[in-house]
Order: sequence, then structure tokens, then C-alpha cells
Amino acid sequence: MAKSKMSKAKRRRIAVWSTFLVVALSIAMPLASYSVHWLGMTAVAQDAKAVENPRSGFWKEIRQGTSGYSAVTGAEANVLMQSTANDWRNFKESPLLSKLPWVIVGMAVLLLLYHVLHGKNKLDSGVRSGRVVPRWSYFERLVHWVTAISFIALSITGISMLLGKKLLIPLLGKAGFAGWASVSISVHNVIGPIFTVGIVLMIVMWIWHNFPTMTDLRWFAKGGGLFTKNHPSAGRMNGGEKVWFWLLATLGVAVCISGLVLVAPMYPQIQIPGVELVRSMMQQASMIHVIAGVIWTAIALGHIYIGTAGTEGAFEGMSTGYVSEEWARQHHDLWYEKMARKGKIIDVGEARGPNPGYGHQQPRSSASSTS
Amino acid sequence: MKLKKKGSVDSQNNSKNALLGDAVNRRTFLKNSGITAGGAALAFGGGTSMLKKAQAASTSPQPGVKTDVIRSVCTHCSVGCGVMAEVQNGVWTGQEPDYDSPINMGAHCAKGASVREHGHGERRLKYPMKLVDGKWTKVSWDQAIDDIGDKMLKIREESSSDSVYWLGSAKFNNEQAYLFRKFAALWGTNNVDHQARICHSTTVAGVANTWGYGAMTNSYNDMQNSKAMFFIGSNAAEAHPVAMQHILKAKENGSKLIVVDPRFTRTAAHSDQYIQMRPGSDVAVIWGMLWHVFENGWEDKTFIQQRVYGMDEIREEVAKWNPAECERVSGIPEKDVKQAAQTMAENRPGTIVWCMGGTQHTIGNNNTRAYCILQLALGNMGVSGGGANIFRGHDNVQGATDMCVLSHSLPGYFGLSGGAWNHWASVWGLETDWIKNRFDPDAYETVGDKQVPPMNRPGMPVSRWIDGVLEDKENIAQKDNIRAMVLWGHAPNSQTRQPEMKQAMEKLDLLVVIDPYPTHTAILPDRKDGMYLLPACTQFETYGSVTASNRSLQWRDKVIEPLFESLPDHTIMYKFAKKFGIENELFKNIKVNGEEPVIEDITLEFNKGMWTIGYTGQSPDRIKDHMKHRATFNTTTLKAEGGPLDGEYYGLPWPCWGTADMKHPGTPNLYDTSKSVAEGGLNFRARYGVERNGVNLLAEGSYSVGAEIEDGYPEFTADMLKQLGWWEDLTAEEKTMAEGKNWKTDRSGGIQRVAIKHGCAPFGNAKARAVVWTFPDPVPVHREPLYTSRYDLVEDYPTVEDRKSHYRLPTRYASIQATDYSKDFPLIHTSGRLVEYEGGGDESRSNPWLAELQQDMFIEINPADANDNGIKHDAMVWLEGPEGGKLKAKAMVTDRVARGVVFTPFHFGGYYQGEDMLHKYPEGAAPYVRGDADNTTMTYGYDTVTQMQETKCSLCKITAA
Amino acid sequence: MARMKFLCDADRCIECNGCVTACKNEHEVPWGVNRRRVVTLDDGQLGEKSISVACMHCTDAPCQAVCPVDCFYTTDDGVVLHDKDLCIGCGYCFYACPFGAPQYPQQTSFGARGKMDKCTFCAGGPDESMSQAEYEKYGRNRIAEGSLPLCAEMCATKALIAGDGDEVADIYRERVLRRGGRPQTWGWETAYEG
Repeated sequence: MAKSKMSKAKRRRIAVWSTFLVVALSIAMPLASYSVHWLGMTAVAQDAKAVENPRSGFWKEIRQGTSGYSAVTGAEANVLMQSTANDWRNFKESPLLSKLPWVIVGMAVLLLLYHVLHGKNKLDSGVRSGRVVPRWSYFERLVHWVTAISFIALSITGISMLLGKKLLIPLLGKAGFAGWASVSISVHNVIGPIFTVGIVLMIVMWIWHNFPTMTDLRWFAKGGGLFTKNHPSAGRMNGGEKVWFWLLATLGVAVCISGLVLVAPMYPQIQIPGVELVRSMMQQASMIHVIAGVIWTAIALGHIYIGTAGTEGAFEGMSTGYVSEEWARQHHDLWYEKMARKGKIIDVGEARGPNPGYGHQQPRSSASSTS
Repeated sequence: MKLKKKGSVDSQNNSKNALLGDAVNRRTFLKNSGITAGGAALAFGGGTSMLKKAQAASTSPQPGVKTDVIRSVCTHCSVGCGVMAEVQNGVWTGQEPDYDSPINMGAHCAKGASVREHGHGERRLKYPMKLVDGKWTKVSWDQAIDDIGDKMLKIREESSSDSVYWLGSAKFNNEQAYLFRKFAALWGTNNVDHQARICHSTTVAGVANTWGYGAMTNSYNDMQNSKAMFFIGSNAAEAHPVAMQHILKAKENGSKLIVVDPRFTRTAAHSDQYIQMRPGSDVAVIWGMLWHVFENGWEDKTFIQQRVYGMDEIREEVAKWNPAECERVSGIPEKDVKQAAQTMAENRPGTIVWCMGGTQHTIGNNNTRAYCILQLALGNMGVSGGGANIFRGHDNVQGATDMCVLSHSLPGYFGLSGGAWNHWASVWGLETDWIKNRFDPDAYETVGDKQVPPMNRPGMPVSRWIDGVLEDKENIAQKDNIRAMVLWGHAPNSQTRQPEMKQAMEKLDLLVVIDPYPTHTAILPDRKDGMYLLPACTQFETYGSVTASNRSLQWRDKVIEPLFESLPDHTIMYKFAKKFGIENELFKNIKVNGEEPVIEDITLEFNKGMWTIGYTGQSPDRIKDHMKHRATFNTTTLKAEGGPLDGEYYGLPWPCWGTADMKHPGTPNLYDTSKSVAEGGLNFRARYGVERNGVNLLAEGSYSVGAEIEDGYPEFTADMLKQLGWWEDLTAEEKTMAEGKNWKTDRSGGIQRVAIKHGCAPFGNAKARAVVWTFPDPVPVHREPLYTSRYDLVEDYPTVEDRKSHYRLPTRYASIQATDYSKDFPLIHTSGRLVEYEGGGDESRSNPWLAELQQDMFIEINPADANDNGIKHDAMVWLEGPEGGKLKAKAMVTDRVARGVVFTPFHFGGYYQGEDMLHKYPEGAAPYVRGDADNTTMTYGYDTVTQMQETKCSLCKITAA
Repeated sequence: MARMKFLCDADRCIECNGCVTACKNEHEVPWGVNRRRVVTLDDGQLGEKSISVACMHCTDAPCQAVCPVDCFYTTDDGVVLHDKDLCIGCGYCFYACPFGAPQYPQQTSFGARGKMDKCTFCAGGPDESMSQAEYEKYGRNRIAEGSLPLCAEMCATKALIAGDGDEVADIYRERVLRRGGRPQTWGWETAYEG
């Protein structure tokens, strides 16, 4: 029994480190090339300004997208000229879009700085009583991890599509990148819907815990304890987690819906009653998707940092489902008190010193559920 | 600095800057990483190829393989566009524009540009099929011919030869058409007909009776010389798109284009003036215009005096059509009519163009004559840029008409008189009596006081064959009903009264379809047996001559061998002839290779008999020479400029007088007196006698250039030559043959040769007649359609009385018009063509390149009517006709049609009253696109002269489905 | 150096769809993919005009600008082509093209887009000219054979003209001079003056 427990723990450790590796790679890969192709990129961005569509002259109306009749079938086959095409192209070549990925870089730099300057948010007590509080159910964790892994995959593939022409083609060559991009787009298309399901489930599961309260205001007033010693009070979800949730519920939904519009293949293969998938709609979806996606990815870095390297004892919650009593008291005092009142605190009888390795605690009561 | 690259992609070059280094080029990278194929598969993206592998392998051009370029002619409409087929190893791999053809100069419409699909033939009828217990069963050709032949011989025994109906086709080439008519004659019946009956029969009758020949007088190319172009009931942009090349060129040169049509057609969109008329009011429109012409003295008085008979009687009729009356009947305001008349008067020469919109009416013959009279009054006939440019429909409907695959005539419009039979019997090398014995000897009709047997009486027309089956046999002028029906290249959905046709098809003892496609016939009747489908090949799989609308003959070479088990039509005719034991007579002058008669021998045979319309000079060698040197012809005049054919007109447009040795250049514009007859000039034909009621019918002071008789003269006969002292110009041999003959029956061609030698037209020189005293309405008058939306006009413009026997059948007029249907069926139902499809559409709807463009049967309906009936654009609707038929189609709400008018295309089939009949087709032979046939609701109504069906003006009601 | 262009003379186009089927014919383009189409404006009303449209082979091609895998290239003749081996079917060119030229064959698995297909000006693609591979991916290479696009060559009324931009403009100018009216080189401003 003991032996098998050990190997389980080992497996878990490997899983955790792998996840880290993926995250690290996802950030590093675009970053690496950024430095190499800094100049090329700005040149393109400047050039794009020169491209403008003159909007005067003959047949103005047609250029504004007037539709007619065509014997050729297919949505918009009867539109002679698409009025919004050039706008979208301009967007694709706009400084806004070319600069947008810097948000991710910026976030990574900020986190790095924080980590270097401030260091890890450690448990105040330094010791562990061995008592743990159940925080995330198996189902919650399942949803979280499926969504999280999907997110990472989508980020990598999405960023590949966005920046590949500038960053990866020079690395891999056109053919190499075409292969990579073709895998990327398929992975993106297949995982996207799975991810969407995850987001929907998360919203359904957690929305009741995330309505803002006065406690959250006070939490924010104290900066979430990021830069102070005393942690502000918080319920099951603290103000930061709630913000993250609502970002997920807004940006996330925007990304998912716009993504579904885009994945709708060569329309009109998929027909949604009452919705006409016209190009202008797909263009807007693509704008929303890329902006929301990039911003979200940047913010997600913060979430990942706080949930892992940034906060001692946070990761075990999402990995094992249990957090230590000390962690709960420090970060979610109100929730801890509530759990304590309900008698939900479990003694696993393994008191330990500071800096425990992740996943060593194995509550007896839930041994079967985490394996 | 843009990341853009000029020139072709070079992956080696491209990856030079890549971090992975130069060594990795695209292929090795992809191979090593397994990304290319694997990646694509993983990527769910599919392959890079557009094509299905099998298809690409079978019909794609192969590099490095010898390519033969074969010349043919498009089989879709009468324009006669040249087709250049590229063939590799017997596979049709490419189609190039035929820039050398003076007719189309490389151009094609949707149909012409897609003819290579004939080489795929995916949806063709592939094998002879027999209906056994309701299921299509493959049989051998020999068994099929045996079965069918035995049944026919039995019917012949029991009910006479007239109980088998041979329905031919305008898809035959000239040789097949001629052979088919001859075949029917030797079978012993005049129950033979083809689409021309329901296409331009009223034109042929009306026009031939006005000035001699019933064909397009000028040519598509010649329209470039027109100063004004008047289209009525013709939508050339969809029905004859390549003709528009010449028309738009004329327009760019300043010609005025007027379009009169119930619909604002694609042609109308290019017009200078568009006039929306009420369907069926053609005579009112023309007389309304003529009223202004006469009122303002715009008529060509000299022309009328010299070359037109009976214009005064026309004036009397036209006087009734003052602007108010014209507007009351046609709905066109005075200023529009006057403007059109003025444009025509001020821009001469002007041409008139009409098509089915004018012909397919119960008074179609009145319409066509009215059009002619307008042109006569304006003096627009017999001049380049003028004329009556009657656009025919099918690729060889002109030729098939000339070969008289018609129930009322023998080839060359000889008619069915004893003399006609004698003439052709002598050409065929047969005894007239032998042929006579093939016919039913009893007489069923009395003409004057003489009993005339079926051999000399017109058979039933294609428009009425269903009545030949269904009518009580006591009422029909032959021994028995039609019991066996052969639809040999005919789409039944192009005919009206579909529900009754279904009944007729079910009542028949034997129903045979011979066609490249199963056609609507395969699915219309509910039969268990007694039905056969025999696969004929298309014209690209055989060879022969074809006559375009402008009377030019062109030669098609064989592009590919017949696909699957299909056979050329003339081979199938041989098989039947052999079964009936008449092959020796039928092919007496024609060599037969195996079972395939030699086409050139057939051409040469009709060359020996078709003196009436000058199909005698176009020997196979000459036609082939024209195809070969077609680049030497001027694209406006169609005259060869230099080269071996210098001075000849492209395709030797008939009449090409005399024998081939005479080298007549063909006649580009009929009745054009500005040229000598020897150079293609002509005058109006003397066809109706020399005098009527004391008035001279011959031309007065008008004659073609160089004529030695400088006035009118009758048609040439041997006696006339003698009187003129020209008899001695004949050779001794010619004299023997010409003795007692006339220009039509002299098989030596001598009479024609000598007449032309003296500058005269062999057929005489007469006036055109504005009054056809042999027709029910000698002066064309307006009559309301049988099913009219304007019942208030019936009192003033009633139809004619019912007739007991019209082409052997009782025919109703007044008894139908006696009922007012316009209350229950308030909308006028008219029909027409789409550019993507042709005829019944079986061929074009089976061509995916065309079918993709028109996937649904539809009904054009005015927004006001749509609102009145609660119909939305693109919604399904029921259209019901007053005779009980109904059809379901998509509504197309459009201003194209006027309020009160609905339009349907007539190319759809494969559905019956809203139900898809896919299961009734032989497997794999159903067209890609199917829909309800618009003729399901089209009603009774037949022309008073030719039995043309009425498809342009019926009634209907529309309800949301 | 020739600069290939298409011009559709709206005063001549009769919407006969000859160009559409000529293209289908020449390249065996499958059902559902239409490299060329004819659009009729004000259908059924006075002023009705039809225009045949396909890839215009723009000077500064938007498809090329937005393609994430950079699969487009412009030939020396000014023809914009793409490499189907690189294309990933993302649809960006379809969003960016003012003329609606890019087409995607239907793919069954997951309903994903297939490789983009568009008018090649009958100039094939990056594979060896007139090879079987080129034919299967891009259709026939008429330019390499010394011909011009079949749609224009077969146009029923010579409304659609293809060829060197200067020559095309000359033909059109002559026509306009003869018939009067304003020249309307539809689409040129967007396609060739970027």
C-alpha cells in the first residue's frame, strides 16, 4: 500500500512539473523570437499605414456592399463587393494588433519583477498542524484542469497563428511553419469547443460564490495582501479570485463565442436559425477573439503565478482538493471559520514543518477520490 | 520590407534566413517530421487536390500525351457556336474557344462552355432498360429491338401503321432527321413530328405564307448592320446568349434596341426602350405601332407598291387599333407605342426578332404574320440589317424542320400530295406504290369531295399526341388510337397538360424512350411494364451536318466514341429498319458499315431531293471545307474574303441553289435584291399564284440585280424555260431529266441553273402577301387566349369556333373560352427559358456545372401579388392551373414580372405535383437537379393553323405551401 | 512586363454564366466551389447590371497581407497565386478579400474548411507548370500554354476581358468611345490602386 502511495505521489509531481514546463514554453516560445525579429515587425507595422483604400469614385454603392442576384449559391455570393474587407485587413495590419502581444510580455515581466522583489507569499505560521480543509471537489478540479490544459494549448496554438508569420516562419521556414500552423489550427478548432464547455461549467459551478460583497471591497482596499503582511479578510473566494472569475465569465465567453463563430467552417455549412454568418460578423468575431484572447492570456499568467509559484499552499488546493488549515486561515479567514463551524476540518495526522512539497498530504477520507 | 515576395516560391531560398538552416527544404522537412501528410490528416484539413481522384484520372489532360483537336458545334441552341474539343486517347480532356468560327468567335454561354461534360456523362442512361414489374432491368440491344419490334408489328397488324407514333427530335443532325422522316414514311405513317411543332411552327407557317420561306431571313452576324432592333417575345440574353455579342456590337455602333416582353428580361436590361406588354396581346402591340406608322406616313410606299400584296386590307384592320384600343388590350400607353414606332421608322434598316413569346399562342400564326407585316410596311425586308430574325431554339431545329420531321410534310416542305410522294420516291429509288402499301389504305378524311387516305393527310402533331391516345377513336381521323409511342429525343415536360400526358402514357400499349437521358418520360407514368429506355448518344459522339438558325450548315466531327452502350441515332434507325424488314429500301442509296449508315451518303441523298429550299448545293465536302477554312469568313457579312472559298457565305446558308458543282455561294440574307441570285441575292417567292381577284401577285418593278426579267415572274418550270427561249441552255442530260418538271422537282438541277444563269430566282419573283387568304384569319387579328385574364375583352376579340378535325383531331376553342376562369385563377401564367438550361432540361440538369447554378424550380411573382397571397421570397408555393394541375416551387418575388403575371422556367422535371420521383429513375441516371414541370399546370390551347401549344398565356392561382 | 488584369464591361455582361462554367470546365472545379461568379445588381429593375467577378489579382493583395502562413505570392505577370501545400484553411483571406474570391471545399471531418481555392488567372500554382500535380491542385495552367483565362476567352459577349492591363484598358476605352458614356472599370480602383 505504502509503495503504491509513493508512486502516486511521484506521478503527481511529474504532472505538476510538466504543466509548468508547458506554461513556461508557451510563454517562452514567442518571447524568444520577439527579440530576434523586433525590427522586422515594426517595419511591417509602419508600412501598413501606407495602405489605404480610396473610397471615392464610381460604383461607390457597390463597394459599400450592395447585394444583388447570383446564380452561384452560398451566403454572400450575391454580394459583389465586401465593404468591410479592407477594414479588417487594416485591423490585421494595425499597430494595435501588432503591439498587443506585448501585453503578455509585460505581464510576464511584472510577475518576474514581483517574484524577484517580493518573493513568494509564504504561510505566516511556518508550520502545519496537519489539519486540512476541503476546498475543491473532484468535479471542480476535473473541470479546472481540463479547462486549464485546454487554455494552455489554445494559447500556444492561438499565439502561433497570430505571430507565426513573423516569428516562426523565420525559424521553421514556410513549409515547416505551415505544418505547425496546420496542426495548431486543428488543435485550436478541436480543443476550443471542449474549452468552451469547461468555461460554461465553471460559470455554472462558481457563479454563486462570486457575487461581490463588501468584504471584497475591503480586500481590494488592502491590495489583496499582495504587498502587506496582514491578509485582508475573505470568504471562499477572495476579491482577486472573483475578478478572475468575472474576467473568465466575460472575456472568456467573448472568446468562446467569437471562436465558435470563427470555427464555423466555410459557412453556410453550419446554419444557426436566425443567424446569418456573414463575413462582417466573422471579421468582428476575429477581432474580438484575438484581442480578448491575448489580454486573457496575459491575465492568466497572473492567475497561474498566484496559484503556483506565487503563493505557498495554493496549488495543493487545486491539485488535491484540500488546503492546509493555516493557508485557509491566512487567505480565506471567513470561509475557514465557516468550514470550522460546520466541522469540516479534517485531521490527516501528518504535522509537518514549513515548505512542504506539493501533494504530500493525503487526507484519509478522500484517498480514493484523488487517485 | 514587406513580407511579400515577387516571383515564384522557392522554399530553398525562403528558408535561407530561417534558424533551422539551409539544409532543410520543404519536402525533406515535411518528410522527416511527418508533418505534411500526417499533419494534414491530423489537421482534418483534407488534401490539397480539388478533384476526386477517379475523376481527375479519367478526364484530366495528361502532360506529354498527343492531343487531337476536333471541331464540333454546340448542341444547345440554334446560334451554332463552334466547339473545339481537345481529345487525348479518346478522352475529351479540354475545350478551347473556337476563335475561327465567324458565328461565335470563341464565345460561349454557360451551356456552350460546359459541353465537355458530355464526355463525363455521369448521369447518362447507360444501357438499354426494360420495365419489368415496375423495375428497370438491363437488357441487350438486340433483345430490346426484338421485343419492341414485335409489339409494334402486332399493333400495326391490329390497328394500322398509324397507331405507332414516331416522335423525333431537333437534336438529330440533318442526316438523322432526314433519315428519321424517311423511316417514318417507309414504316407507313405521317404520325411523325418533333419539337419544331411546339417551337416555331407558327413562324414557319406564318412567315412562309407571307414571303416564301419560313426561316430567319438574315443572320445573327448581319444584325451588326441594323440601325434598330425590335425584340418581341425573345429573351436572347438567356436563350441565345452568344447572339448578344452581335446585338451589343450593333448597339455600340448606335443601333437602337427595343424590347417588348411581359418580363423585364436580361435582354430588356440592355435595351434603349423596354415595353411591358400583357401576354398574348402581340397583334394589338404591332397593330398599335403600325397605326402610328400609317398615321404619320412612315411606311415605305415604294416598297409596298412593288413588293407587298394586300397592305390595304391591313390598313383597314390597323385603323381599329388607335392608341386607346391598343392600350386597352395590351396595357401599353400611347407614348411608348409611338416612341417605338418612331424609333423603327427613323432608324432603318431595322430588324425584328421574335421567339416563343410570339409563337406559342392559339393565334401564334397571326402574331408571326403581324410581325412580318410591320417589317414589310417599313420596307425592312430583303436588306442587310433588316429582316425578320427569327431565333430558333434547338441546335438543329432549323435543319430538322427543313428535313420535315413534321407530320404535315415530306423533307423540303414538299407537303404530302401525290406529287410530293412521287418526287421523294424517285429520289429514294422506290416505287410510290410500294410506299403506298406501307400505309393504311382506308380514308378517314374528306377534302373537298374527295376521300383522302392517311398517306396524304397530316398526321397528329406532337402537341396533341396525348389526345391521339386518349380521344375516343370515333372522333379521330385514323383507324385507331395511338397505341405505341416512341419519344426519340424528346422531353415530355416541354409539353402542356402534364396530368393528361401521364394518363396517356399509362394507357399506351408500348412506350419507348430513345435518348441519352431517361428524361421525364421515365418517371411520369405509373407503369409496370411495356416501357423501354434505349440509350442514344449525343451529337458529340457522332458526326454530320447541322443547320444554325441563320440557315448555315456546319459539320460536326465525332469528338468521342459513344459512351457506355449508347448508339448513334442513325444506327438505332438501322436496327429498327432491319427488324421491320425495310432496311434495303431505307438504305438503298446509303452504304451501311456494320450497322452504322454512312452519314455522307445520307447528305448526298437529300442533296438530290431538297430543291425547294436549296439544300442541294451543300455537299458534305463543301460543308467540311467551310469548317476547315472558317477563319477566312468575314464576321459581319459571313462572306469569305480570299482563301479557297472566296465569295462564298459561311455554311452555305440555304437556299444554296443547284447542285454542288454549281458552287452557289449560299444566300446570306433572304429576298435581298441588291445582289444577283448567283451571288446570294433573291426576291420574294412566287408561291401563291400570279393573280388574285384580278390583282397581280407578282413583283412590280422590283427584281434582284442582274435579272434578265426586269419585273415579277412566276416560278420556273420546264415549259417556262421553253417560252423564254432558255431551254437550249440545258445540257442534253439535263433536258431529259427536266422535261415536264419544275424547279422543285427537276433532279438534274438544270432548271435552277439556267434560271440563275439569267439572273432569275428559280422560285419566281412575287410580292409578299400581307393577307394569307388560306388561313382562318387572312388578315391577322387579335383574339383573346382561351384562358384569358381579360374576360371583358372576349366579346370583342373572341377565339374561333371548335374544329372537328384539325390534324386528325377535334380541337376546342370557343367551348373553352365560354367559361370565365379569371375569377378563380386571377394570375396570368407565362413561361420561358433560363440560360443555364435547355428544353426539358434533362441533359443540362444532369450536367453538374450547369445544375449547380439553378438548383430549384421557381416562380417569379410580382411583390404586389406576393403580398396579396401572403407569399414570401424564397418560400415554397403551390401554383394551380384551371385544368387541375398543380406544382410546387420556390417563390421568387421580383419586379421583373408585372402585377398579375407569374413566370416559370420550363426546364424542370423529375417531380410530379410536388413529389420527387427520384425512385423512378434507373439507378444513377437521375438528373442532379429535379423539380416540378411548369407544364403540369399549362392548359389546353392550340394554334389555329399549326396546332402550336399555348404556353405563354394561361391562368393560375398561387398559394403558400 | 505584362501586368495581368481582369475587366468586366457591365454594359456588355448579360449574366449568361458562361465564365462560371468555363472555369468549372477548365479546372474541373467541384460542386460548391465557384472561382468565378456573376452578380446582378438591381435584378429585374430598370438599371439592372450584371458583373462577373473572381479574384482580381490585386496589386497589393489583402489575402497576401493577412495570410498567417504566407502562402500567397505574386508572379512576374502580376498574378496572385497561392500554395496549397502551405494553406491551412484558416479563412483569413476570405475575410480580407473585397471580391469574395477565396473558396473552401467542404470537408467532412468536423466540418473544417479545406484548403482555400481561388481563381488562378489560369496560371496554375507553385508546382511544376502543366504537371499532373499542378492540375489536380490548381487546375490547368493556360498561361504556361500561352493562352489567357478561359472565362474571358469564352465570354459570350466579350464583356469579360483578361490580359495585360494596358491592352485591356485600350480595348475597353475604344468601346466606351464608340458608345459614349463614362468608363466604369469596375473593381479596378480597389484591386489595382492599393
